[in-house]
Amino acid sequence: MSLPKRLSQEEQGTLVRRLKARDERALGELFDALAPWVVGVAVRILGDVDEAEEVAGDVFVQVWRRIDQHDASRGPLVPWILSIARNRALDALRRRRRWWRKTEQWERGGRGELGVAEQGIALHEAAVPGWPVHREVHAALATLPEEQRRVVVLAYFEGLTHREIARRLAQPLGTVKTRLRSAQAKLTEALSHLKDWIA
Amino acid sequence: MTDWLGMAVPPRPPRAELQGLVLAQVRAARRRPWRLAAAALVVLALGGGGLWAARTVRALRFERDDLARRAAALGDTVAAFIHSPATRLIQIPVSTGGRVGSVTIFADTVGHRWLVRCDGLAPNAADQAYQLWFITRDGMRSAALMPMDSEAPMVTTLEMPRAGAPVLGAAMSIEPRVGSSAPRGPMVFHLLL
Repeated sequence: MSLPKRLSQEEQGTLVRRLKARDERALGELFDALAPWVVGVAVRILGDVDEAEEVAGDVFVQVWRRIDQHDASRGPLVPWILSIARNRALDALRRRRRWWRKTEQWERGGRGELGVAEQGIALHEAAVPGWPVHREVHAALATLPEEQRRVVVLAYFEGLTHREIARRLAQPLGTVKTRLRSAQAKLTEALSHLKDWIA
Repeated sequence: MTDWLGMAVPPRPPRAELQGLVLAQVRAARRRPWRLAAAALVVLALGGGGLWAARTVRALRFERDDLARRAAALGDTVAAFIHSPATRLIQIPVSTGGRVGSVTIFADTVGHRWLVRCDGLAPNAADQAYQLWFITRDGMRSAALMPMDSEAPMVTTLEMPRAGAPVLGAAMSIEPRVGSSAPRGPMVFHLLL
């Protein structure tokens, strides 16, 4: 297993510019820094390491192809890449028609929340760029009331619509929407200070 | 702010070879435009060649069918000339370019057609041709221009003029390759029927 490498400040500052200049080494460095997080998101959504790594590979190829579409003024790079990872993973989940089976597995396994210490894999904090961000996001989620955190997780990591969440939780649709709005407001307030940590 | 939610999940390192696979895929994608262009050129060339071949085959088929129709019609004409009791055979010995040959006319007096066969005539100069004439009371009327570029016998069929004065005979002269309105060159034969 290779642990992610740290990026120097200088490298971080020029990474996107080098990617746009079609520098393959920059893609390698981006991979080193972000692949663990991309795979983590994909594993969380798909529940399968092999599928998640396949998705992660597709994500970095897509980042390479679409880097010119990334507008730094509209948002940082890391969330952009994470959103690609999430969308790809959800697409794979739907495409392979395992949606219900996977979600039921998550329910049975009690991993519907954020207990994602995946399969005995543990990374040393110091080895992972972005770990402080992870802690902050995790903490922000943890401070949400249980019912709000649950709807956020179902919406983000399982790609459920409001109506599907309502059906899953046996709650009125209006209640689900209200919880999501409240959760989003709290997360926005808690994470508004976050800056991109890679570029 | 939900864009950051992906960071809530603990990281998981990918297998070691994944980065190499990604970079290989990226390199392949960078080479792909050239391959696509080359493939497109090949497809265009094959498509163009195929189109040209199809058109050529169609044109050749049309030409073959046309020739077959003409050959069949000529065969019918020859058979009618030879076997019809109304056919009159006229054989005219001629001398051209120091050699002796003959012009044979099968005259169908019912169908008003002639079949003319030339044997042993000297090939024409590049700017000349044999021209066959009908002799009528009103004078010579051009019947056919018969350029001969080889030693091979030449056969042609003619429709006799139905209007105007009746045909009294035939003549042949050597004229410019484009033909003349009246015989001006050396006369090969002149025969009243």
